[in-house]
Order: sequence, then C-alpha cells, then structure tokens
Amino acid sequence: MPPSVGRSLPHDAAPSHVTGRALFIDDLPQVAGELHVGFVGSPIASGKLLSVDYKQALAIPGVVGCYTAADVGGHNIFGLIVADDPFLAEGEVLYVGQPVVVVAAETPEALAQARRAIKIECEAKPAILTIEQAIRENRFLGPIRRIARGKVDENLAAAQHRLSGTFTSGGQEQFYLESQAAVAYPGEQGQIVVHSSTQNPTEIQAVVAEVLGLGQHQVVCICKRMGGAFGGKESQASIPAIMAALVAQKTGRSARVIYNKDDDMCVTGKRHEYLTRWEVGFNDAGQVLAVRYEFFSNGGATTDLSPSVMERSLLHADNCYYFPNAEFTGKICFTNLPSNTAFRGFGGPQGMAVTENVLESIAQYLGMDSLEVRQANVYGVESRNVTPYGQVVDKNHLPEIFTKLAETSAYKARRTEIEEFNLKSRLQVRGLALTGIKFGISFTTKFLNQGNALVNIYTDGTVQVSTGATEMGQGVNVKIKQLVADEFAIDPSCVIVMATSTEKNINTSPTAASASTDLNGAAAVIACQEIKARLRNFAAEHLADSESGLVASPEHICFEDGHVYDDRQSRVRVPFGQLCDDARRDRVDLGARGFFATPGIDFNRETGRGTPFFYFTQGAAVAEVVIDRLTGEMRVLRSDLLIDIGESINPGIDRGQIIGGYIQGMGWVTNECLVYNDRGELLSHSPTTYKIPAITDIPAVFNLDLFPNADNTHNVASSKAVGEPPLMMALAVWAAAKNALSYINGKAENDLMLPATGEELLRVMTTLTSKTEPANVG
Amino acid sequence: MKKRSFSAVPPTAGQTISLAKQSEPMRDYALIYINGIRREIRGSEARLSLSDFLRRRLALIGTKIVCSEGDCGACTVLVGRPTEQGLRYLAVDSCIQFLFQLDCTHIVTIEGVAKSGELSSIQQAMIDCNGSQCGFCTPGFVMTMTGMSENDCGMHTESLKYGLTGNLCRCTGYTAIIEAGLSVGNEQQDRLAELYPPAPLLADFAKHEHDDLVLSDGQHRSIRCPQQLAMALQCLADNPQAMIVSGATDIGVRVNKGLQLPDQLIDLNRLDELAHVELVDGKLVIGARASWTAVEAAYRDLVPEFHRVLNVFGAPQIRNVGTMGGNLINASPIADSLPFLHVMEAELELSSTTGKRTVNINNFYQGYKKFDLQPGELLTKITVPLPEATDLLGLYKISRRKDLDISSFTAAIKLRIEGSKIAQAAIAFGAVGPIVLRARATETFLVGREFTEDTMREAGEIAVGEVTPIGDVRGSADYRWQLTRNILVKFFLENQPDAVLV
Repeated sequence: MPPSVGRSLPHDAAPSHVTGRALFIDDLPQVAGELHVGFVGSPIASGKLLSVDYKQALAIPGVVGCYTAADVGGHNIFGLIVADDPFLAEGEVLYVGQPVVVVAAETPEALAQARRAIKIECEAKPAILTIEQAIRENRFLGPIRRIARGKVDENLAAAQHRLSGTFTSGGQEQFYLESQAAVAYPGEQGQIVVHSSTQNPTEIQAVVAEVLGLGQHQVVCICKRMGGAFGGKESQASIPAIMAALVAQKTGRSARVIYNKDDDMCVTGKRHEYLTRWEVGFNDAGQVLAVRYEFFSNGGATTDLSPSVMERSLLHADNCYYFPNAEFTGKICFTNLPSNTAFRGFGGPQGMAVTENVLESIAQYLGMDSLEVRQANVYGVESRNVTPYGQVVDKNHLPEIFTKLAETSAYKARRTEIEEFNLKSRLQVRGLALTGIKFGISFTTKFLNQGNALVNIYTDGTVQVSTGATEMGQGVNVKIKQLVADEFAIDPSCVIVMATSTEKNINTSPTAASASTDLNGAAAVIACQEIKARLRNFAAEHLADSESGLVASPEHICFEDGHVYDDRQSRVRVPFGQLCDDARRDRVDLGARGFFATPGIDFNRETGRGTPFFYFTQGAAVAEVVIDRLTGEMRVLRSDLLIDIGESINPGIDRGQIIGGYIQGMGWVTNECLVYNDRGELLSHSPTTYKIPAITDIPAVFNLDLFPNADNTHNVASSKAVGEPPLMMALAVWAAAKNALSYINGKAENDLMLPATGEELLRVMTTLTSKTEPANVG
Repeated sequence: MKKRSFSAVPPTAGQTISLAKQSEPMRDYALIYINGIRREIRGSEARLSLSDFLRRRLALIGTKIVCSEGDCGACTVLVGRPTEQGLRYLAVDSCIQFLFQLDCTHIVTIEGVAKSGELSSIQQAMIDCNGSQCGFCTPGFVMTMTGMSENDCGMHTESLKYGLTGNLCRCTGYTAIIEAGLSVGNEQQDRLAELYPPAPLLADFAKHEHDDLVLSDGQHRSIRCPQQLAMALQCLADNPQAMIVSGATDIGVRVNKGLQLPDQLIDLNRLDELAHVELVDGKLVIGARASWTAVEAAYRDLVPEFHRVLNVFGAPQIRNVGTMGGNLINASPIADSLPFLHVMEAELELSSTTGKRTVNINNFYQGYKKFDLQPGELLTKITVPLPEATDLLGLYKISRRKDLDISSFTAAIKLRIEGSKIAQAAIAFGAVGPIVLRARATETFLVGREFTEDTMREAGEIAVGEVTPIGDVRGSADYRWQLTRNILVKFFLENQPDAVLV
C-alpha cells in the first residue's frame, strides 16, 4: 500500500455530493413541532428605532413568537475583535436590513405572512454610504494602522520619476451557494445544540452562550459541512445561529433559520471595498525606490474582522516586490452598510492590487514591458529579501517562478504577436500581463495559530478523526484522512473525518487563513503519534519472542501496509485491526488528543514589525485578454499559472483550489459589482444582478503547473497552504486589461479601476481616445 | 405555399388525434411521475413549485435551492414529456416550475438518475475528476449533464460550456466539471429509458392527455389547462382577468420573491398547436408558446446572427421552458429578442373568441409594460420575415457577463446596401428607454448616404439624441449613451472585409 499523502484521492464527500445525499443545514429532517424562523430588518440605513409593532403578526395562525432586542436582555452585543455588533438592533439602526425582529412560525407560509405584517418605525438620520463620505466626516472604526521602513519622503523626493494616484477596488460578495443557515435543538439543563453552516463553531458556541445567557458548556455547535463559505461564514454565521438558538430557548421547540439568497446578500458583509492614495518613486530601470500607500477600507457599520483584514492588506501591500522605503497606513471607514468581513484573501488582494496597478503604471510611463519592471522589483534570494515589516522571505523561489513561467507561457513571442494584432485590429485590443503572489500563511492574530484533534481507534482498526477544521468544499477532511491513514499505514477508507463539533474539539480557531490543514492536520498527526507510541510499546511486548531471543524493543516496531511487525522478524505481521483489539484487551488507550501551536511566529502591531508568517505560498500567473474597443466587453483568452504549494498532500484537491480560487479572483477583478442606491440598499442582491463567473467565462486556454518544491519541511508533510493564494493570481487578468488599454493611447495615464467591467473599460477607452488624434479613434 | 417544420420540439405523441370534444372526461388532478412513481396532484398543491414539492413533500432534498429565480441551476431536474420518439427529457429549473404546468410528464431528480446503490457514469466521472467541492451545486450539474447526454448534445468542451451556462459553481472554476463531462465522452452508457421503461408511462399519459383538466382548490381558485386554442380563448373570454402561464420563467420568479400567484390561471402547456415553428413563404411563423429552444433551432441556419443572440439568451434550462410569446408579453425593454423582431417588422397575431387581428411589433408597445392587447385576446403567432441576402444584419447584446445575464444594452441594425450607398435602414435599441425603440431619425439620416465610417459615426451622434437611457444596476446612463454612439461604428467595422478579430 503506497502512502496516501501525495495521491489525488477524491473529496471524501464526493459520492454524497453527486447523489444528492450530502446533507446541508436545510436538508436535515424536520423534527415534530419545528419552527421556521426569519427576521424583519431595518427599513433605513441610519436612524433611531422608534417602535416595532408585531401585534398583527402574532395574530396570524401558526405564528408562535416575535422577539426583539428587549427579549434578549443584556447580552445583545458581541464581536470577535471589538464587542460592537448587536444581535438585534437596539436604539438605533445601522444599515438597511439590519435584523430588528425575529419571527417564529409553524409553516413557511405563516412566516412569510408574519414578516409582511410587522411594522418598524424609525426616525432617519443622515447615513454614511461611501468611503469618501466617511473620510470627509472623519468617521473611522478603530485606530490608524501603520507599517513602514526607510526614508520615504527623502527617497520619493530624490527619485528620478514619480507617479501618484488614487486606486479603488470594489467589494465582492462571497456568493457561497448555501446561504446562511442554522437549526437549533433545545435540550436538558438549558442546553442547546446548534447545527450551523459556519467556519467557526467555537465562535457560534461562544456567542450563542453569551446572547442567551448560558455557559459555554451548555451549547454545542456542530458543522457537518458548508455549501461554500469563502470567509463569509467566519464571523457572520453568528446572527442566524443566535436567531435559531433564541427561538429554541424561548419556545422549547427546534428552530430553523434559512436565509434566502436576496436577504443573505442584502444583510451580510462582503469583501471590503478599498480606496487607496498611492505615491511611488522609481528609477529609469523601473526599480521602485519608495512607496507610500494610504489605505481606506469600507468597514461597514461595526468592527467585525475589519482590523485584521486591514492588517493583512498592510502586510501584503508589497505583494512579492522589494520596496526599500515604504510606508503603508490603513484606516477603516465607518459606513451604514452591513459590516464587511472575511473573504478569501482577507485584505491581501486589496493590498496587492494597488502594487500591481503601480507597477503597470510604471511600465507604461517608462515604455517598458511590465514583466521587466516586475522582475526588476521581485524579492531576491540572497539580498533584497526582507519585507517592510522585517520578515525575511525565506526559501524564496519567486525569481525562478517568474522566469520559468515567462518561458512556458511564451510570454515574449505572444507580446510580439499582440503588438502586431493591436496595430491591425480596429475592433479589438489585446493585453498581456504576468503578475506574482507571495501570500503569508498564519493568522496574524497569534493566538489563533493553534489546532486540536481527537483521534479514536476502534478494535477493528478503523479510525474516527475529529478536528476543529470545518469542511466547506476545500477538501480539508480528505487531506486529514490521508495524513492519519499514513501515520498508521492503513488504507484511507479505514479513516473517517467526523463532523466538526465543539463537543469533540474545544476552543478552536476558525477554518480560515488557508491554515486549516496546517493546524488541524498537524494536531491530528500529533494525536496519531501518541497512540502509535502506545501501540509500539504494546506491539513490542506482543511480538517479543523469548525463544528466538527477540527482546521487546519499541524502536523496531514498524507500521506498514495495514500490518504491524518487528523489523527483526518481519515475517510475523499482525493486522493493524487485530493489534488494536489485542491492545484494548491489554488495557491500552486507543484514543488521543493532539494539540499543535505554530512555532516561531510573532508580530507587534504597535511597531508594525515581526515575523507574522510561518512561511509564504508563492506563484505567478500570465493572463491574456481581448477587449472590444467599442463596447468594452472583455474575454480572457488564456491563463498560465505556476504556483509553489510545496509537496501537495492531494494534488487533485489542490488543483481544484487553485483553479477555483483563480476564477473567483477573476470575478472580483472583472464582473462582480456591488451596486447600492443612495438609500444604502443593495441593488445587486441575487445572481440576476450580481454576476459571478459562469462556465463560459473561464479562459479558453488554461494551463496550471505546480512548482516542484520540497523545502517547506517545517510544515505538515512539507506541504503549503493553498486556499487563498490562487485568488490573487487573478490580478494578472486585471493587469492584462490595463496593459491592453495602453495600446489605445500609451501616452495618457489610464486610471482603470477594479473591477474592470465592460462599463469601466469603455469609460477609460473613451477618455483615452478623446486624448488622441481623431484618426486613431476606435 | 412553401412550408418547413422544425424538429426542435418533436410533435407530441397524441397530436394526430382529432380535436377533443367538450365531452372529454373531466380531470381534477395533474398526473405526474416522479422518478418512476405515479402521483396525482390536486387542489392547491398544484400551485406549489416543483422544487418545494420535491423537497418539502417528498423529502427529495438532493434538489438544492439557491436563488429561486432560475439563475443558478442548483435546482435543475429533468422533465420528460411524451413525443413520438418516447419521452424526451429536458433540463429545467424546478424552482420556477409549478406543478400545474407539468401534467403528463415524468420528472427525474438527482435521486433518480441511477439505480439505488449505483452511480451513473456522469456521477462517477464527477467523483473521479474532482468535479465537486462544496457539493451544493453538484446535483444541478449532474442533472444538466444527464439531460445533455439524453439529448445527445455531445460531450466536448464547447458543447459542455454551452450546455452548462445555466449552472453556477463558486468553488471549482468549472474546469474539473468540464473534465468530468469529457471523460464520460460521447459513448452513451446510461439511458433513462432503461431505468424507466417509457411504455407504461406513455400509455398512462395517452389515457389522460385529452381529459378536460381543471385544477381547482374547491373554493375560488382554479387553473384551467385547455388543450385546444378554441378552448383557451373561451377560458380567457370567460375570465379576461386570468393570468396566462406558459413557461412561468417570469411569474415563477415573482412568486418566489413574494408575489401572490393570481387565483385564476390559464395554463398553456397542453396547447401544442401554439408550440410549433414553421417556415412559410420565406417567413418564420412562430407559435406564441414555442420554446426558445425550438426558436433557436429554427434560426440556427436561417439567421445565424439571431441564433448567436439566442445562444446567450437565458440558459438552456430557461430556453427549454420560456416562450417567445412570454418574452413579448412580458414587454420588458431589455428583452433580448425584441430589437431583431422590430427591425424585421415582425407581425403579431392576436386572437380572441371574436376573431384575429395582426399588429406590427413596431406599433404594439405603447409605453413601459403597456401594449396593444385587449381583454380576452391571446398572442397566438409571431410571423417574422427573413433578412434578404443583401441585407447586413448586426445584433448586439451587451451585458456584464456574456452568458445568463440581463442586457445592459441591446441593438439591432439592418442595412441594405446598394452599390456603395445605404438603400434601407432599420435600427432598434433596447434598454435605453421605456420600450424598445426604432431610431427613426438615424434611419432617415442613413438612407441614401455612402456606407462609410464617417457616415456611421455621424449616425451614432444622431442615435444618441433618440435614446433616453437611465442609470441602474446594470449600468450608468453614460455607458448606455456611449454604447449607442459606438455600436453603429462597430457595425461598420465588422462589415469590412479586412476586419481583424480574435
């Protein structure tokens, strides 16, 4: 039996997925008396909550209860970083749709009727809806954050060339297909069991206990799987879970909350929109001498995860380029919108986008190919390899990745071809760009870098593993299954990774920061090793043979191919299951809990210096686009990806993460647009109006290669995290679009923003064209 | 008279039987098979959406709900309708199909695509190729691919992309799903006919399909499902306020988003005489209930330019049920088919118990969602002339996303060039005003002028004066003005022999 690590085993739930048997929250069977729970939210973006009238709703047959903040008591406010997130609006309303009343009914029809019958009266106050408005009115959440090194002013002033501008990147809806959902079951001794579609069961347990006035020991949160999450269920699964739990507590009946897509999109947070003022000084070779970025993120109405998101923006503003002098500052703007939250990349994309825009602008200004500019700035291996926050970019493969990808993608030949095409075509213009990524792996909040795992072996040698990792499609379960199977040298089919439950794994970190396999896999391996040590001792005694003079020696015990043997007498092999049964009869404990804490990381927020990351995942992408000169419609013709993810535990799963992340990133940089009206209502709140990539949007030619690399030895199985980094490789698509526009008019600076929608591209082309001779129009 | 029928929707099995009499037996339930099991749907239950019925009544929870508006495909199931060739299965979005539309059909869900305990080749391929990640969209993809396989659509990259435009996935980036389809290949292994022998179902349907079907809740709500046009018109005359339902791709969405389904409904799904597309004397005569799939097939060779637009109209699941008549009566200024029909001077046949009349589409619309249809009248036929060989035709649908998106801007340009001059011009714009409009001043300007870039540029400036766009979720007014300005130049450049395109 070959080791399973490194093999492309299918997702452990794939057979359930394809047969429709995989249960998501709303697929759980209803128990007798179960209630359907919904809410009614604020009609306005900002104001005083005057009254809530639900008398008529309560009169509707089948309506069981209506609850407001008054029914919750003193525990209505919670929050991961700052406790400023109300469960239900209290006193004032902060954004359109903010939950005010929770309604419970016996049928979905009664619930719908009740929701329509509830009247909420507010006194409107002026709302803040944009970053610009928040800056003008000086409304920020939390203090300004800063990372800096060197002498920025002096080097900007001394630089041969300087450019500056303002860059905006739009927000992005996670668009997990399973909307926020939870079912709560009341139990004895005040206990509540909540099944939640959450990346963060420990957080659900904590907030449900807090809001309901229970001890955490009275609350169990279980997450079998999520129908996608992408960060959107790291903190924001809380409110629906509390709604369900509150109703279960108040009524003694089980209670189910299933947001519909429109409500979900209207009331939950998204990727933060950013506005960045940038300034760069550089020399004739395109080498950056100094940068200054002032980031402003749209935080929404409460703090949520915004400070951590901003922190990651600052820590990724350099992307994969060495800036000898740099100053990055970040402010979180208060706006009357749902609090923005985690989304794959977690601030990284917004920081990196600014730098890719700056490098593209430098190339255009100097008339250089942007690849040369990027290669002039990419982090070095021996020198020019320290980040602005002081971490050494250890084991850096970026220069090699850039060179190799440029070759395999035929970058230079295609550049020539594109230039010829652009001279000839009056209808279309093509662009090409190669961009890199360097994504730091670890939570920047140090304490979260821990994981625990419970490994239980039964007497037939089969294994159940439970960890704090939640399965949202990323394949963490199958990877942990492979790691565990290999520890005991048994077939992976003998291992099952169980639903995530706070009953089995305590005080866990959210499944986030790409680090779940790293943390939970490592913890599982530690638990396995503990059991293995016991089994080794037992097996040594068991296999000792006084007649042949084989003295018990645990060091000689081997686990191989589903069997255990002493390597001095390797023909005597005990099946693993047999050994487990025998061990139990000898009173050997076959269960263990493993605990892992990432070593050697630290970051000082006050000084902006430290080693926040265990390692970096690196890669690069080349994208080629074609744009209709007259309509702005864009297509991605080709993408080539090269990424270093170490020794992949499961290449099939990782490939899916890379391609999926890249296409999701493409959505962010091209077509995904959040449109609000002037009352703060989201207009793009369903797939009719919010366009994630469809199957026809994927590049016609799409190549992906893994960069061979076995040097990440300090991480589990020498692997590297893969969840978030590929999303940022899609910045190549945006950069290619900006590059294409340079062929419309290479002299005028184009101020393309992100996303590069057809409308945005047409706007920039129209401006650029008006600055050229009429003969060149079109 | 030259006549040619199109076979996108094969004639139904019972079509040759003469008109049923009023004395046909009365039936008060819809007869629906689900995964081979016979169901009789009565009373208010007939008003449920198929997906609600599957999930809530039958606990067939493999069918997933995401958007409730036919825009994601997670709820895709196959609807098998009887044809001369047996049951023909088409993929539909079950969230926007009502049970009352589905009389005499066989529904196959994800639970029913393989024998219990076995996997179909598509299911196996999805596992082997990592086609699922979170798994929420997966049943929908499996169902759509099963439908493609049933209809021999071909499992190659382009057909898979085309066939799966109506299914959204947020995890995989689709590549693995395409690989799964490719790995199944074109060798048909599983046929639903093997799993569900059609003969007994067809026999049961044949026994019931001529019944007079009225689905009443026993009180004041009723759904009439006429089988002949005369009866449909009589139903309408009796109850001019009743809502006509055919594909339900619009009303289905509105009901899911909170609208009350009207009490009185007339369902046209059994009305086969309005479902055909025929070429008669160089004109396409399209029954108002012809599905977009049927219309698309008819235009494939006849007007490839229109076919190209229809290709990105909705998604296969929508085109399989949505009808041209529905699109016209929905009267949206962003309806994708309208600019073409305007420049082709399509004629609409409106019928009632008192007779028929014909209205040119250019005179039909009077204002936003206002049109010339009298109480008791039913849109029955659309007659669309074909472009002449010498006509230059350009159709444009600009949307944020290429596929499965609602237009930000639409245009149709038809010019007849004689020598170097423009002899005739017809130009229509959509999404730039309350109705699709003909750019009459621009047309007048063009006629008699040289067909040059300068002419078209000038025409663009005139066109800008004729449109009145607003800014909305799909784009700003400026964007739409700029598109109006540019589209005529684009049309010119596209029609140059040396046009360079990827």
